[in-house]
Amino acid sequence: MSLLNLNPQTIKQLKRFRSIKRGYWSSVLLAVLLVLCLVAELLVNSRALMVSYDGEWFFPTYTSLKPGTTFGLDYAYETNYRELRAKFEEEDEGNWVLMPPVPYNAFENDLKVGSYPPNPPSFEDEHYLGTDSTGRDIVARLVYGFRIAIAFSGLLLIFNYVAGIIIGCAMGYFGGAFDLLFQRVIEIWSNIPFLYVIMIVASVVVPSFLTLVIVMAALGWMQLTWNMRTSTYKEKGREYVSAARALGAGNVRIVGSHILPNTIAVIVTFVPFSIASGVTFLTALDYLGFGLPPPTPSWGELLSQGTNQLQAPWIVTSVVVAMVVILLMVTYVGEAIREAFDPKQFTYYE
Amino acid sequence: MKSIEHSLMRDVGRRFAFFFVVFVLFVGGCGQVEDAMDTEDGETSEADDAIEVVELPPIAVAEGDGLPDEIPQDLEWLTNDSDPEFASTDAIQGGTFRASMQAFPLTLRLVGPDSNGAFAGFLRYNQFGPVAFHPYTRRAMPSIATHWAFGDDGRSIFYRINPKARWSDGEPVTSDDFVFAVQFMRSKEIVAPWYNNYYTDRIRDVKAYDEYTYGVQGADSKPMDEMHYNYGFGPKPRHFHVMSNKWVEQYNWSPEPTTGPYHVGEVSKGKYIDLERTENWWANDERFYRNRFNPKRVRVKVIRDINTAWQHFLKAELDTFGLVLPDFWHEKAQGEEFDNGYIRKFWLYNQLPQPSSGMFMNTNQPMLEEQDVRYGIAHALNFERVIDTILRGDYERLPTFQLGFGAYDNTTIKPRTYDLDKAAEYFERAGFTERDETGILVRDGQRLSFTVSYGQPHHTDRLVILKEEAKKAGLELELQLLDASAAFKKQQEKKHQISWGGWASQGLSPRYWEHFHSDNAKRTQTNNVTAWADPVMDELIMKFRGSAELAERIELAHRLEQMVHDSGVMVPSFQVPYTREAAWRWIRVPQSVGTPTSGSIFNSQANSAGIFSSGGLFWIDPDIKEETLEAKRNGDSFGAVTILQHDYRT
Repeated sequence: MSLLNLNPQTIKQLKRFRSIKRGYWSSVLLAVLLVLCLVAELLVNSRALMVSYDGEWFFPTYTSLKPGTTFGLDYAYETNYRELRAKFEEEDEGNWVLMPPVPYNAFENDLKVGSYPPNPPSFEDEHYLGTDSTGRDIVARLVYGFRIAIAFSGLLLIFNYVAGIIIGCAMGYFGGAFDLLFQRVIEIWSNIPFLYVIMIVASVVVPSFLTLVIVMAALGWMQLTWNMRTSTYKEKGREYVSAARALGAGNVRIVGSHILPNTIAVIVTFVPFSIASGVTFLTALDYLGFGLPPPTPSWGELLSQGTNQLQAPWIVTSVVVAMVVILLMVTYVGEAIREAFDPKQFTYYE
Repeated sequence: MKSIEHSLMRDVGRRFAFFFVVFVLFVGGCGQVEDAMDTEDGETSEADDAIEVVELPPIAVAEGDGLPDEIPQDLEWLTNDSDPEFASTDAIQGGTFRASMQAFPLTLRLVGPDSNGAFAGFLRYNQFGPVAFHPYTRRAMPSIATHWAFGDDGRSIFYRINPKARWSDGEPVTSDDFVFAVQFMRSKEIVAPWYNNYYTDRIRDVKAYDEYTYGVQGADSKPMDEMHYNYGFGPKPRHFHVMSNKWVEQYNWSPEPTTGPYHVGEVSKGKYIDLERTENWWANDERFYRNRFNPKRVRVKVIRDINTAWQHFLKAELDTFGLVLPDFWHEKAQGEEFDNGYIRKFWLYNQLPQPSSGMFMNTNQPMLEEQDVRYGIAHALNFERVIDTILRGDYERLPTFQLGFGAYDNTTIKPRTYDLDKAAEYFERAGFTERDETGILVRDGQRLSFTVSYGQPHHTDRLVILKEEAKKAGLELELQLLDASAAFKKQQEKKHQISWGGWASQGLSPRYWEHFHSDNAKRTQTNNVTAWADPVMDELIMKFRGSAELAERIELAHRLEQMVHDSGVMVPSFQVPYTREAAWRWIRVPQSVGTPTSGSIFNSQANSAGIFSSGGLFWIDPDIKEETLEAKRNGDSFGAVTILQHDYRT
C-alpha cells in the first residue's frame, strides 16, 4: 500500500470496500476467473499440456500446430491428443499424454456415429456440461465465450470512457456555446435506435469483433458525458481550481491533475455496471444473430441454441447459470464500490 | 397446374428460392406488414392523382412470326382421358383447413411489385393453365382446355377450351381471356419488366379462332410437353381488369377471380387470409379433379416464427406441420399427442427435381480459377460426416448439379467424396505443399483459405462441421453468415469466393444456360455465380435449348452434366428426396398417401413443389375429429402412428 503512495482518502475507501464482504469476495472471485480465462488454453483445450514421446517432451499448448506425424501417426493434420492418449495407454510403452482438465476446444465437433448431438453431460466422455447441437463441448464454449465477452466489454469500456470523460469534462469545464452545442449533439445522437443500426451494419458487413466494438462505442459514449459534465462543472467552481489557475496552470493541467482525480468516484462506480451491460449487450446481439459471426464461441449463441432445443436442457441451464452468476458478482462488486466511495458514509439526516 | 406462370414463377422464384432451399420458409420481418398498411394509406392520400384508363394495344407480331388466320384443318387434336385418376373416392367435402404463413403478403396481385411472397403460391395455384401435368405419368392432362394440337412449324400449339370453364365470379372462360393475358403481361402498367419481356420474347403470337379455340406461337420449337410447359400460359379475366396508370395500386388488395377451386374470401390484414371453395366449381366432376380440394375453406394464418407455429400445431390450431428438419422429426415430434395417435406422422418418398444445392466457387477469384484447387476442395468437404451425424442419416448426398428429371439425369456421375489423400494430391499439384503453423496449406505465402458466404442461419451447424473437417486437409473455410438478401446480393454481384446455397429446381428438364453460359459469366446479376465460361459448353447449351428432339436433349443434358462435374466449380451437397409431415388424426389421405410428384402431402392447392397437379388429395373427417378431441380430453390412446410410404423411392 505504502509503495503505491495512496492518499488516506483512497485507503479509507479501499478498507471500506474490503469490509463489504459480498462485494469483496465477488471481486476476488471475478479476478481469479479473469486470470484463469487468460490462460484458458491450459485448462480447456484439445491440445495436450504435455506429451512424452520416445523420451522427448512436447508442450503443444502455445506452440505451432503439431501434425500427427510428429507422434508417429499417419496423418498430416493436427494431432488428436485424446486419441493419442488412448493409443499410448494401450501400447503401454512409457509414452504418455497429459491433457487439460477439459480436453476439448471450443470449435471441434465431437461427433460419434449413432449418437446425435446435443449429447447430455457425461464424465466418461469428459463433456462435463454436455455438448451443443453440433457436438461442441459446452464448457469450452462457455469459457471461451466468457473470455470474448469480457474482452469485448473491457474494450468497449475503454472507448466509451475515454470519449465520455474527455467530452464530458470539456463540456463542464468550458461551458458556454461548446457545452450547448454538445448537449444538443448528444441529445440527437442518443435518439439513434441502437438495434436498427446494428441490424443494418450486420446486413451489410459481417460484424467482426472490432466493428461491433466501434459501432457500440459510437452509439454508447454519451452515457458518461452527462455525469462527467455535472461533476466537472461542480468542481470547477471550487477554490482549489481558482488557486491552480492563479498559479498559472493551463486548462489541460487543471482538468487532468486537479479536477479529474476528484471526480474519479463517479467514474469508478460506473465501471462494474458498464462491464455487466457490455456482456449482456453482446449476449443479446449474439442471441438475435447480429453479433459475432459463427462459429465464434458465444453465450448468446448458446442461449439461442438452448431455447430452440428445450429438450436438451443442459444447454440452456449451463449458459443461464453462468450468466446469472457472473452478472450477479459484477453487480455485487458495483454495489460495494458505490458504497465504499459514498462520501455520505457518516452523514446523518435529522 | 402447368402454366406459363409456373415457368415464370420458377424463374423469378429461383432467384428468391436460393436461400430457402430445402425447407421453403419465407421469412418476413414485422416491418413488412406495416409497410403493407402504409401502402394502403398512401393510396388514399395520392387519390388526387388522376387515373388514366389505358386501352391495351392489340397483339403485335414481329416479322417472321405469326399464327395462321384460319385454324389449320389438318390438326391432330389430342387429349388425355386414359391416365389413371389419383384422388380417393372416400373423400369427404367440407371443413376448414388451417395453414400458416410467416408473413402477411404485401399484395394480393399476382404480378407487379412485391408479388412473389410465400402467399402468392396459394393464389397462383388457383389460376389454372390450359393443361396440367399428371402426377404419376407426368403427361399433359386436361385442365381449362380439353384438347390440344401442335402446328407444323414446331412452335405453335392450339387449345380447345372446356365450355364449362368459369371464373370464380361466374363469367365463362373464353379464348379472349388468353389473348388478354398476353396483352396484360406485355403492358407497362403491371410494372413487371420480367413478364413484359417473357411475353414478348418467348410468346410471339396468340390468336382466338372462336370463343373456345385459340392458338399460341412460341419463340423456339421444343418437345411437346415442353411446349405446354413454356407456352401454355393461363388466362387473365378481361372483364375484371381495367388497365390504368394506377393499376398496381388499385389492384393491390383486389384479388383476381380464379379458375381453380379456391378464391380469396375474408382477409384480415396482418392476421389471416381465407381461401373459399368456389361454389359449383366448374371442374367438380371432371376426370382428374373430382374428389379433390375437399376442405370448404383454407385459412392461412400469419405465424411469424416456426417454433411458435409448432406450439399452435400442438394445440390443434393448425392441422398439419412439416417435419423435414431432422430435429423436428426425431426430437420435437414426441409427447402424448404422438404417443396416443392424435397426431400421425408421415414419411413420403417422392421423385421431384432436387434443388441444386452445394458450394458454388467463383472462378474469378484467385486460386479458385485453378481446377486442381477446386477438385482439392471438393475432396476436402466431408458431407458424409454431416449426414451421418447432425442430419441423422436422413439426408442423402446429391451426386450432380441437377437431379430428378427422369431420363435427363446423368446417373453415371459419382460425386467427389471426402478423401484426404486425393485432396492432398490435388493441392500438391496446385503447388500447396507446406503447412503453416496453424496447419493450413501455403504456397509462396498464399494461404489456402476461402470465405464461404451463406444466408441460412440454420445451416451454420453443417458448415461448422465441414470447416473443421476441411482443416485436416489443410484447407481453411471462413464462414460468413449474412442476412439472406445480402448473401444473395453478394453472389449476384460475384463478389463471393465460395457461396453456399441452392437453386430451386422445377420443370420437366434441367437448365444450364442461366448457370453456365458464358453470356452470364461476364455480367453481374445473373445466375452464373461460378462465372464459368467454356465455349464448348456454350455451344452444347445453345443446342440443348433449341432442340425439339427428346433423345437429343437427353443426350446433351448428360454431356452437360458431365461437363459441370468435370469443371468442379460446384460441389453438390445434399438432397432430400422425400417429404415428412405430421397431421392431426382427422386429416385423412388416400391409400397411396401421396403421388410420386407430391412435394407436400397436405398441400391444399393443386400444385406443391413442382409443376405436377398433385395437391388437394386429403380431406377432413368431422366424425374422427370429434372422436379424437374427445379422446384427447379423456386421455384415451389410439396408439402411435407413423406412416412410411417408400414406394416411390428411387
